[in-house]
Formats: sequence, structure tokens, C-alpha cells
Amino acid sequence: MDLIQEISEYLQKGRAKNVKQLVQQALDENMDPKAILNDGLLSGMMIIGAKFKNNEVFVPEVLVAARAMNVGLSVLEPKLIEVGNEPVGKAVIGTVQGDLHDIGKNLVVMMLKGAGFEIYDLGVDVETSVFIDKAEEVGADIICMSALLTTTMPKMQDCIDMLKERGLRDKYIVMIGGAPVNESFCEQIGADYYTPDAASCAEVAKKVVLEKKAAN
Amino acid sequence: MKRTEFDIKISIEDVCRFLDIHKKSDSYEELLEELKEMLPMAYEKIEPMALLEFGSLDGYTVEEEGRPIKEALFGICTVGKRMAEWSTQLFAEGDYMRGMMADAIADNYLFQMDTAMEQTVIDMCRKQGKGIIRRIEAPQDIPMSIQKRAYDATGAEQEGIGIKPSFMYDPVKTVCQIYLLDDDTSRYHPEHDCSRCSNLTCRNRRIPSVQVKVRTGEEERRIRARKSESLLETFQKKDIFLTAVCAGRGTCGKCRVQFLEGATEPDEADRKVFTEKELEQGWRLACRAYPKQDCTVLLDNAETDFFVLADTKDGNERRISDGTSYGIAVDIGTTTIAMQLVDLSDGRTADVYTAINRQRAYGADVISRIEASNSGKKEELRSSIRQDLLKGIGKLTEDNRLKISKMVIGANTTMVHLLMGYSCETLGVYPFEPVNIDMIHIPYRELLEDERQDCPVTIYPGISTYVGGDIVSGLYTLEFAKREKPAVLIDLGTNGEMAVGCRDGILTASTAAGPAFEGGNITCGTGSIPGAICGAVYRNGKMETETINHAKPSGICGTGIIDVIYELKKAEIIDETGRMEEPYFKDGVLLSEEGNLRFYQKDVREIQLAKAAVRAGLETLAARYGISCEDVDRFYIAGGFGYKMNIHKAVDIGLLPAQCEGRTEAVGNSCLQGSVKYLLDPDAEKETEELRKMARELPLSNDKMFQELYMEYMYFE
Ligand code: B12
Ligand code: FES
Repeated sequence: MDLIQEISEYLQKGRAKNVKQLVQQALDENMDPKAILNDGLLSGMMIIGAKFKNNEVFVPEVLVAARAMNVGLSVLEPKLIEVGNEPVGKAVIGTVQGDLHDIGKNLVVMMLKGAGFEIYDLGVDVETSVFIDKAEEVGADIICMSALLTTTMPKMQDCIDMLKERGLRDKYIVMIGGAPVNESFCEQIGADYYTPDAASCAEVAKKVVLEKKAAN
Repeated sequence: MKRTEFDIKISIEDVCRFLDIHKKSDSYEELLEELKEMLPMAYEKIEPMALLEFGSLDGYTVEEEGRPIKEALFGICTVGKRMAEWSTQLFAEGDYMRGMMADAIADNYLFQMDTAMEQTVIDMCRKQGKGIIRRIEAPQDIPMSIQKRAYDATGAEQEGIGIKPSFMYDPVKTVCQIYLLDDDTSRYHPEHDCSRCSNLTCRNRRIPSVQVKVRTGEEERRIRARKSESLLETFQKKDIFLTAVCAGRGTCGKCRVQFLEGATEPDEADRKVFTEKELEQGWRLACRAYPKQDCTVLLDNAETDFFVLADTKDGNERRISDGTSYGIAVDIGTTTIAMQLVDLSDGRTADVYTAINRQRAYGADVISRIEASNSGKKEELRSSIRQDLLKGIGKLTEDNRLKISKMVIGANTTMVHLLMGYSCETLGVYPFEPVNIDMIHIPYRELLEDERQDCPVTIYPGISTYVGGDIVSGLYTLEFAKREKPAVLIDLGTNGEMAVGCRDGILTASTAAGPAFEGGNITCGTGSIPGAICGAVYRNGKMETETINHAKPSGICGTGIIDVIYELKKAEIIDETGRMEEPYFKDGVLLSEEGNLRFYQKDVREIQLAKAAVRAGLETLAARYGISCEDVDRFYIAGGFGYKMNIHKAVDIGLLPAQCEGRTEAVGNSCLQGSVKYLLDPDAEKETEELRKMARELPLSNDKMFQELYMEYMYFE
């Protein structure tokens, strides 16, 4: 089996050690770091994500796969910087203020990474202005908010309102999610996209960011 | 009664409709702009006031089904002088457009005040022991002179309202309401009924109510439903309970009903939940259905026989003797209410009462109640629980002929907040601060605003927002503070509260398991009602099931779910990661041909989330307490669930640790038992206070160990 294919397969099984070793081996064999990234690590993560979305695998599997991806990335990163690999886009993400649930948000982080995003994870209980300030600071393309409590969902509205107030609404794509969130809430508060799971979040994010970039 | 506080948002949409301003109109944008500009001024000028007082209809002939009606509740609502002066001034200045707009704004506000008063009106009548037959309007239903009667009854003159010889009020934007009353307290119809109104061309004319025939089995009940309310809300007002796990957001699919006639247009949520064929057959979500015409609805999932634990050891016979004093012990659960009438001389239970907590109308879990309270329904929720308690007390005391001398209430923190009328603003968001979780001593009359009893009431103190007085009560009755060896108390409800402790200290947590073990989030899940699958064995490639009361299978409840998972695991239909093998992965496992009840992959995932939360919570709690489950002397499972749960199977699927086998005891409604014990034990106050001081809450949110174990226990080892 081809080395890159193998990296993807091991990643899907969550075998961090093997992934690390194979990425190193691929680099030693002078393979293209971008190919190792896209066709090995990221494609493996996307496959896991798709299976998760389809209920074939569950949270722990995604977590171990993501760990393997991270280990692989750490080996690969210096080379990627050398060859000047551009991320798909930059995403600012966090759980809204008043809410400490982060498992779902973490899965989204992993899938976005898997889709090639540069991630700024603000953690949990994130104040509304912090999302925006961070996005401004790093020049983000997209702001992602997660809420698991119906009582904290209004914070997403606050963020949209604050973006409008500061005249930044059109500058960022706003995505929202979390178990109690749904499409109609998304429409109601005027966010751009909602998806029910982490894998589709990454798909949609990638698609719309690339479209927006192409349009500009 | 006078009310001047109103939280009303003027509806631009309605104002536009009233003024015939259409989106298609060329000047729409401009007119809208104008209206929006006027709004802040209007809010500033409007000085709302509503007056309500009871009075007689002597001298008028009003009949209801041939019976003369003698009593009424009179209401007068006004938006005040300044608003009226403003529109007069605008007209005087020749600014007809803005004058008309000001008028329409005032009308809209009045209209909304009217609706906002409904609850107050109902509450007033309830307190007086009166039902509301309907509302009438002058001059079409009764001569205009009645406005003078209302004027005098409510004392409007003292409030600066004038009345003209034509019986019109001054200022003009002042209206009169007349509610017809009688002694039948089973119905309250305070709404304005356009269908009886003669003003056929009124732009606000809407026929607000339709007739719904509700069929349950052989029975048929006719109720009136307001068009502005979903069927779910209507049902709840009429005490018909449908499960509404998502509180009417249209996501849980539990509130399903079948329209036999007059089906509503399916909306987006309906399309998600039902197949094309089911939609055709009239299946709809009650929370999404706003009946526009008379209709017939079939219900087979109403919670008529909800199983409530009231824990009577002495049998069910009512025993009241003269000369002894009685107390009432209460457990206010999020779902149910249980009470015991206790003979204080010998501690025996004289009678029991159980009911569904009607606040369920506002959502199944505490978070939805908190949300409802925060969105302006605080008083409604308070009045709901007060009525529920009064009803129970009435039953236990033969309509208050028996006087009680003590009452003790155990309830979770949210229930206490709602009962006390505290704000819930801080309960639902981190850092989850309660307003008050101290022990409460309050006079009966103040707590329930009811004069028919007079005694002190004690409400159990809590430990935190999510570990409340119900748990303290349980810990007290199980004597955690006196134990030599550590014991564990687990409540498998939505919040998954648990505690570990002995005389050296008590540590508690809430693991937020979610409603899966109560049937929520499970495709065909249901509560412990007749017909719920409560046991299952997998034999010869088929699931053989057993239901509560051997009734026709209608869903699956917690004990059944545990059995099913256990059997599927044993038959290797699900592997250790929780994945179902084909073809079950796609089609689910058939539980019952009847009703086509199936257990799907998604359901297994829900159980994995819930059981991992409980187990990881328990292991983390024990570890942080400094012991392992091996050191736990006894495990107590609270709630009705515990009695029927097969511990061996619960252990096998990883919900409970292996040490539970042989050391577990179902304790039933430990909260109610604690309340009874409190009634009888003279040292109760001291002991509960001490217990509470020994208890701490372990925050799980940022506990690394919990996080790791949570992932670990998601699997079926
Ligand atoms: C684990 C858990 C906890 C853990 C949290 C651990 C952690 N670090 O996250 C603990 C025990 C600490 C906890 C505490 C509380 N919890 Co909690 N918790 C849960 C539980 C069991 C699972 C949630 C979860 O992780 N799901 C798995 C993940 C993968 O799913 P997810 O988050 O939905 O994410 C997916 C999608 O939504 C989407 N997504 C998520 N974010 C985003 C963002 C974007 C942009 C997009 C596009 C998509 C997206 O992608 C993810 C993967 O596909 C649920 C009940 C249940 N069975 O669901 C309750 C639950 C969420 N908790 C609840 C509550 C009320 C609480 C508490 C407030 C009170 C309590 N104890 O009950 C406390 C305090 C919380 C706090 N401090 O913030 C309630 C919420 C009810 C409601 N109506 O809002 C629930 C539903 C349980 C219940 N009681 O009914 N909880
Ligand atoms: S879908 Fe109607 S209450 Fe949940």
C-alpha cells in the first residue's frame, strides 16, 4: 500500500505512533509535504468525520483519530512552513458565555483542522466581544460559536448584533451549532450557517470560505 | 386591583395591517420609516393602567344557557392621557397620517394589554373561587350604561379617568372589559371573542377560537382552542398532557398527534419528523399545529396514567382520626408532585396524593422552565405550582376542612425558585448562581396566597443550583451524615444528581445525563406509562418484550432501554464501540410490530452519552472523595426507575460499576421520605443544616478526570 494511504488508514484507527513514524518516513523519502497533509492526514480525518456524521463511529473514535492527526501535524508542520502551505482559512471558535460544554466544540475544532483551517480556539465561557476582537486581530474568515444550553443560545444573537453595531457583519461568515441549535434559530438570529454535526460544519466552512475568497 | 407595569412590544406588523399598509405598496418603506420613528415617542407617552374589580350585574339581563348570570369582573384598560392628547394634537395640526398612526399604535398597545391581563384576570377569579364563562362587550352584548357600572366598581374616577354622558371614557383610548362569572372553576375564558362581535369590518377581527374534538380511545372531549396558541399549549391549559421534551421547539418529535379532520398545514419541523405518508394520515407535532378551523384529533400518547411514586408503606386506605394533628410532606419534582398527609402523633401516613406537575407545559427539564421564567412567564409558572399544591392539599384535607399544622417541601433548586417567585435569570448560565438556597420558613398563607389553611411551611435547603433540596432531603432520610462507611445516592433523572458521603463529609455532583433514561431523545422513548416496554429478551433473532400493565406497546421506558441495550450487546448486534451491525444499522431493531417500534443506531448513541455521563460522574466523584467504588458500602438509587431496573444489566452495559451488584438498594421517592421524616423529627432542622454544611459540590465541567472517563465509558467494554 502506498505510504500516504497508509497514513490515512492508521489515522482513522487512531494509531498515533504509527502515524508519527510514517509521516517521518514519508518526509525522509522526500515526499511532498502538502500531499502528506492533504491526502494522508486530512483525508483520513475527513473519512472519520463522514463516518461520525453517519453514526458509524462515535465521539471517542473521532477523538483518537484527531490525536493521531495532531501528532502527525506536529512532525509535518516545520516542513509545511518551509514550503509555504497556505491554510484554507482562519477560524475563530469557542463556546459562548455562560456555557462550559466543550466536547462538541472540540470535535468541530478537530474537523476544521482536518479540513485545513488554521484554528483559534477561545475555549469555553467566551465573552461575545472576545470572539470579534480575536477575529479582527488574526484576520479570521469565519467565526464559529457553540452552545449546549438553551439558556445560552441568546449569546449567539448578541454576537451577530455586536458585529452589526461595529459594522463588521459582512466581513465574517458566522456559523453556529450545538445540540439545542437548529436551522430556524440560525435564520431567526441572522447567522450565516448552521450544521447539525462537526463533519458537515467543516465541509460547509471550507466550501463557503473558498467561495468567498474566489469572489473577492 | 391596579396594574401599571406592562412589558409590551408594539407590533409594527399589526399596526401596518391595521392601517392597510402593505409591503407591495410603493410608499411602504417610507411609511415604515415614519412608524419606526414614532415608536420611541409612543413608548414615552404611553402610561398604561389596568383596573380590575368584582361587581354585580343587577339590573341587566345576561344569560348563559338559560341561566341568569349575576356576577362579573369589570376591567378598565387605558394607555393614558398623553397618548390620546398626542394623536388629537397631530390631527389638529393637520398631520392626519401621523395622527392615524398614533391611533393605531395606541390600539395595538391596548389590544396587547388586554391579552397581558388575561393571566391576572384568571388568577383573581381563581382566588375568588370563580370560573369565567366568557367575556362580553358593550354595546352589542349589553347596554353601554354598563361602562358606568364598571367605572364605579373599579374606582376609575380616582385614577383620573373621566366618563361622558354617552358612557364613553375619557381619554378615548380607554376600554372596558366585562367577564361573566359563575362557580364552575373548571374553565376560564377571558379572551375577547371576535366571533361574537358585531363589528364585522373591524380590521383586527380574527376569530380566535376553534373547536377541537379530542379523541382518546373511546372517549371524546370537546375543547376550545385559540388560534394564536399551538395545540400543545391548548392541551396543557386543559390539563391534557403530551410529552414535550423539547418544550415545543419542534425538535424532539414527542408531541405527535393525529388529525382525523381539519389537519393543519405541515410545517418544516413536521416534515422532518414524519414521512410523507404519515403527514397524509394527519400526523403532526402538537407544538407546531395552530388549528385554523374546527378539527378532530386522536391522542394515544397522553400521559393519563403517569406513574408517580408516593411511597406508602401502610397501604392505601385513608385514615383520619379526630383530635390529632396532621402535617403534609411534599415532593415537588420537575415532572411529578407527590404528597403525604401524615398523622403527627404516630407518624403514620393517613393519605397520599400524586399528580403531574403542570409546569410541564413549559418544557420537560429544568432548563426549559428557567427559560420560560426568564421570558416573562415567571408569574404563570408560580401560579401553576401554587394551584397544583392547593389542589393536592384540598384533596388531602377534604377541601380544607381538616386543618394541618405543618408542611415540609423538598424540591430541586429551580422548583423552589419558581414556587418562591425568585428570578431564574442566573440559574441557567455559568456560574449558575441561585438567588437563595437556604432553608426557608414561610407562613402557608404567604407562600400559597390562600387563606384556607394557616401553618408554618419549611422548604428544604439546597447545596447548589443543580444539587437541590430534593437531594438534601434524600441524604437526610438515608442518614448520610451519621454513616460510618461511605454510601452513594444516585438519581437517574435528567440532571443526574449524585452524592457520596458518610459522617466525614459529603460530596455531590450533577452529571447532566439528559432525559434518555426517561425516554427523551429516544425515537420511540416514553415515560413509565401503561404500554411502555419495560423489559426485553432477545430470542431466536427477535426481541420479545414486556410492557407496563401488559398494555398495547406504545414506546419504551428507561428499564426497557437498559434491557434492550444489554440484549443487543449480548447478541453482538452492537459492538463495544456502540456500532450496530447491518442490517440493523440502517433499519434499527424491531421491538414491536404493533406501532412499528424500533430501536435505532441513533438511540444507542444517545444512551452512550447518557450512561457515560452517569458512570464517569460517579467514578470521578468517588475518586475526588478519596475512595474507589470498592469502598462504597451501599448504593441507593432514587426514583421509581430503581425498583424495576435490573442491576446486573445496568452493570453490564457500564451504567453502574460492578461493585453495585449485591450492594444496591432502590429507595423510591427519597425526597418525599425526607420531607415526612422532617415533619416528625424534632431535631430535623438542626440535622439538615449540619448535613448541608458537610456537603460540597464537585464541579465537573473543568475536571480533567471526568472528561477522560466520559470518553472511556462511552464504550461498552
Ligand atoms: C457531557 C455533558 C455535560 C458535562 C460537560 C463536559 C464538557 N466539558 O463538555 C458536564 C457534566 C460538566 C455537564 C454539566 C452541565 N450540563 Co450538561 N450535558 C452533557 C451531555 C451528557 C452530553 C453533551 C455532549 O457532550 N454531547 C456530545 C457532543 C459531541 O455533542 P454536541 O455538543 O451536541 O456537538 C455536536 C453538534 O451539536 C455540533 N456542534 C457543536 N458545537 C458546534 C458549533 C458549530 C459552529 C457547529 C456548526 C456545530 C457544532 O457538532 C458536534 C459533533 O457533531 C448532555 C446530555 C446529552 N445526553 O446530550 C448534557 C446537557 C447538554 N447538559 C445540560 C445541563 C443543563 C447542564 C448543566 C447546566 C446542569 C446540569 N448539571 O444538568 C451543567 C453545567 C454546565 C456547564 N458548566 O456549562 C442539559 C442542557 C439542557 C437544555 N435544555 O439546554 C443537557 C441536554 C442534559 C440535560 N440535563 O437535559 N454537562
Ligand atoms: S417536537 Fe413538539 S414538543 Fe418537542
